[in-house]
Amino acid sequence: MRDNYPCGKISRRQALHRFGLYGPAIGALWAQDGKLTDGALSPNLPQKAKSVILLFMCGGVSHIDTFDPKDNKWAGTMMDAVGFGDNLAERKRPVIPCRRTFKRYGQSGIPVSDWFPHVGSVIDDIAIVRSMWSHETNHFPAVIETATAHRGRQFDHPTLGSWVSYALGTANKNLPAFVNIGRPSSSVQLSGGYLGASQAATPFQAGAVPIRNLNPPKDLSAAERDRQMQTLTKLNEEFRHTYQLNSDIAARVKAYELAARMQLSAPALVDFANEPKSVLDQYGIGDNVTDDFGRQLLLARRMAEQGVRFIQICHAGGGNGVWDSHFDMAAHEPLCRATDKPIAGLISDLKQRGMLDSTLIVWTSEFGRTPWSQHDDKGRDHNALGYSSWFAGAGIKGGTVHGATDEVGYKAVEHRHYCSDLQATIVQQTGLDYKKMQFRSNGRNFHLIEEGDGPIMEIIS
Amino acid sequence: MSILKTSFYSGVLLLLTALPSTAAPNPRLAKFWPLKPVVRPSVPGGEAAGVNPIDAFLRAKQAEKGLQPTGPADKRTLLRRVYLDLIGLPPSPEEQDAFLRDTAPNAYEKVVDKLLASEQHGVRYARHWLDVLRYADVDDRMAAESGIHHWRDWVITALNEDLSYDKFVRAQLTGYRDGEYTSINENGNRSRSAPRPFDLFALGFHARGQVSRDGNDTQELPIAAVETISTAFMGITVGCAKCHDHMYDPVSNRDFYAMKALFDPLTVKRIRLASEQDTVQYDRAYSQFRMKKAAAQKKVEELIAPYKVKLFAHLMETLTPEVQAVFRKPEKQRTAAEQKIADDYHVIFKVTGAGLKPFMTPEVLKQYSELQKAADAIRPPADLAEFWTVEEDSSRLLQPSYILSSGEPTQPQKDKPVDPGFPFQPENLEFRDGRRETFAEWLVAPENPLFARVAANRLWQWHFGKGLQQNASDFGTLGGKPTHPELLDWLASEFVANQFSMKSMHKLMVTSAAYKMASEAKPELVSTNNTIDPANTFLWQFRLLRLEAEPLGDSVHAAALDLDLTVGGKSFQLPADDGKRKTAATESKPTQPPHQRRSIYMQRGYHQSMDVMPNFLQVFDAEDGRAPCPERTRTVTAPQSLFLMNDKMMVDASVKFAERLREVSRGDLSSAVELGYRIALSRPPSNREKDNALSYIENDPGRLDRFTWLLFNLDEFFYAR
Repeated sequence: MRDNYPCGKISRRQALHRFGLYGPAIGALWAQDGKLTDGALSPNLPQKAKSVILLFMCGGVSHIDTFDPKDNKWAGTMMDAVGFGDNLAERKRPVIPCRRTFKRYGQSGIPVSDWFPHVGSVIDDIAIVRSMWSHETNHFPAVIETATAHRGRQFDHPTLGSWVSYALGTANKNLPAFVNIGRPSSSVQLSGGYLGASQAATPFQAGAVPIRNLNPPKDLSAAERDRQMQTLTKLNEEFRHTYQLNSDIAARVKAYELAARMQLSAPALVDFANEPKSVLDQYGIGDNVTDDFGRQLLLARRMAEQGVRFIQICHAGGGNGVWDSHFDMAAHEPLCRATDKPIAGLISDLKQRGMLDSTLIVWTSEFGRTPWSQHDDKGRDHNALGYSSWFAGAGIKGGTVHGATDEVGYKAVEHRHYCSDLQATIVQQTGLDYKKMQFRSNGRNFHLIEEGDGPIMEIIS
Repeated sequence: MSILKTSFYSGVLLLLTALPSTAAPNPRLAKFWPLKPVVRPSVPGGEAAGVNPIDAFLRAKQAEKGLQPTGPADKRTLLRRVYLDLIGLPPSPEEQDAFLRDTAPNAYEKVVDKLLASEQHGVRYARHWLDVLRYADVDDRMAAESGIHHWRDWVITALNEDLSYDKFVRAQLTGYRDGEYTSINENGNRSRSAPRPFDLFALGFHARGQVSRDGNDTQELPIAAVETISTAFMGITVGCAKCHDHMYDPVSNRDFYAMKALFDPLTVKRIRLASEQDTVQYDRAYSQFRMKKAAAQKKVEELIAPYKVKLFAHLMETLTPEVQAVFRKPEKQRTAAEQKIADDYHVIFKVTGAGLKPFMTPEVLKQYSELQKAADAIRPPADLAEFWTVEEDSSRLLQPSYILSSGEPTQPQKDKPVDPGFPFQPENLEFRDGRRETFAEWLVAPENPLFARVAANRLWQWHFGKGLQQNASDFGTLGGKPTHPELLDWLASEFVANQFSMKSMHKLMVTSAAYKMASEAKPELVSTNNTIDPANTFLWQFRLLRLEAEPLGDSVHAAALDLDLTVGGKSFQLPADDGKRKTAATESKPTQPPHQRRSIYMQRGYHQSMDVMPNFLQVFDAEDGRAPCPERTRTVTAPQSLFLMNDKMMVDASVKFAERLREVSRGDLSSAVELGYRIALSRPPSNREKDNALSYIENDPGRLDRFTWLLFNLDEFFYAR
């Protein structure tokens, strides 16, 4: 049968044909664990991470002001800033001073900026990679590149979470395998791409309403809804019998089942009433500054507990992303404050529960920021040539710094890692062989990862 | 040309010579099948009366494969299918009755004629075309946002008038529907008659491409034109060639930029559509606005003047002494190096409220914010109706075009200028009649095999769910080969012979036996055929098709009897459920029930920081119009189920649908159930279904709300079988 690309996407039916999954095991949204039998995709490495929590800071975090300190003696040095980032004017610009102070934390003594004291306190669980780089220097293309490990949308590559949930299926049939919390910078970060829309992230919000249309109308009792569902099944019988071989109809049956189960399981998931105050405090819930992100991270932990495979949290997304601090790095401060305590809370909470060994936490942004400023000496431009990401849990060697940028923080120079190395590392820790993450379509093989060097082995214990 | 046309239209000929002078001695071109001339194949078994040639082709293929087609669909199934297909709405119970009563042999044909004549047909098929032509109401900062709906309405009208496909395309490329010239003056210059005023709106096609991203003009108009035209009308993806020569298809990097040069001279231009009276009134209101605004702003300026001085002095102090010295020097006395420093640092002196505030006492601050608030509250009058069109800028016509590095408008390769042109162009082409005009003349010519094939295939896809060439916008090497090449060529030649009438092609297709076939078959037949063709590529049964967002939503409101069928006008936005939604190009007030307009008028598009598409469109896979979409994805997901189960739109419609049933059935619940099924599914319920429904209703007319909810959530409601 011929492959087809509706708007660059591939229909699930074709995906099923391709993988011989015609029948009940349809997509990760409702696949039972272990149903995906394709050898290329089944775990063939030790599975360190049962769940991945990806913390994506939208807009470009300054590595220089957070995890990659630089000597201010270079301040004032003129640098060639032609055609870079947002700045297309031809001019040289001076390196600006970093106004942060750095303190060494933990046994590893890794320096962390005064904007992240709580993260500093758990630094011995964290491996920082200071030598990430990518191609794209503007937000929208860079988000696509870092989310899919490919540039542009011509082939509709899926985002990493879709790949992981597609390959592993779900461990909990009451919940989706891939969830997004928070507003992303681009819908591409949610896209199932050619793997099909059923692999897309299911959006959750950390509020009273975790997903849209989850709750039945208020005047409808649970018993009545039950009866409706039962009657619906009866009334669907003849049609479903006629079209029993149609995979779309089979998918629809499952979609209704999952929807119904989510109505039951999702509200409990977002109800924090039984969490002790000490845990809420740990995440900064109840404090205006940290409440929002704290709730998102506590929800993430609860999802990981429930077996959700890939939990993506987009912080400060929408448009270019709020981390985009061209005019004044001081704009980073509230964002750091909002995320610092919750992140540290998540790591220590997982550790206390014995879950850190099986949960991979990854913190990144679409790029870093330049050593120079476009305006006065306060803000920083986009910098894809060198930035920091970090990893924690699930077989990661904590208290590690790997790779380096040059003396001013402009380019990654030591142990350079293309952004797809981050993806390869995640994939490997979930027990998948990144080289085998491929999908045949339209007469060519699409790979999750085509560039880069693969997993960052130096940070894996 | 006229001789050629005559012979075409007489329907005799049909040995088309493709691209006569194209025949560049390029071996890659020679092997490229879509460029091979359309040769009208003979119909298998001959052109017999009473047999639609489509069926002759399909059956020949089925026989060859050993496939036995299933039988015809019953009348009710067929009626719902063709209504949803041709007008995007289900048949009313009255229309169902009329069709069932009509036993004439041409009863179905009469229905088809009626639907094709309905103005709702244009509404339905415009949506298909607008996907391909990447229509959007909002796209970041789209210059043409205000009034873009006039282009959408032009497409609807053109389809309703059965504007021939060549004119349909030519008008959108050039603003003229005809290629003819009226007169030649003494100097030998040919002149055109004025275009039809209405066809101005066709140029929304180009204007749509003018967007700025991140506040930068990214010069997307010509690039969007190339990408849309090549995929939509030529069926080739030249996108790869934006950065490098196409790896698979005979399209070079140079071809891409040559084609872009056709559109490089275009600039967007705003046209006011307001009446004389409105214009005069607006002018008065605007003058008053300016006066009031200036007066209010003056008060603010007077208040902050001393603080500006303080702020300046403060900012100066933050600079190094060397930089300060530069700023203290009058501009004329600065050296080049010093001036550069001044340029680098001058932004620091930008006056902002936040910068001023630290210098103010609380009282002054209060006064400042009050005055500023008062000034901000003075708003200009509402904009006059307008439309953005495109014009050729004569100065840009003289500028050379270049190949761009990685497609970046800011990185032209000055050593690689390109002349206007296009892939597969004839040799010695001159652009005497204008760049776009010359290109359009070539593109829409009956002998261009790409043009007719690609369009005939699209029409087929919209009726049958999949194209004969499944990648409807990619006839290139990566797109695969058609399943029925002879049928495709026959349709292409027939399209030309029918003078590119789209309605005649619709009729030809939907009156075929293939279209009238059932989407189900006896189990024995299914299992036999499945061993040969499990994907139903050879159409041994009709495809079960999930409704797209628009016919789904329109069917819901049709059942609830609150659908407003007015054609055309500004797009509307559903009330935002999160309060964060951009509604720039839309009606100032969202349409309130009971007048729900058809879903084609629902705002769609993309904005970086706001949701501009209603959740409804997003959940059911409507595209945002940022890229040409040849085929909607048809997903089946849990969020869709949740929408149908719980969204307010569905709950409200269930209540109205139930009211309708109560009113008509006057308390007879059995007939209410019957009617409900006929409205939702165009068929009465089976006895079992009726029993189940009645036992659910428990003799309580109040429970009909719940029953109508069941109907909306049935699989069958969501599919055209």
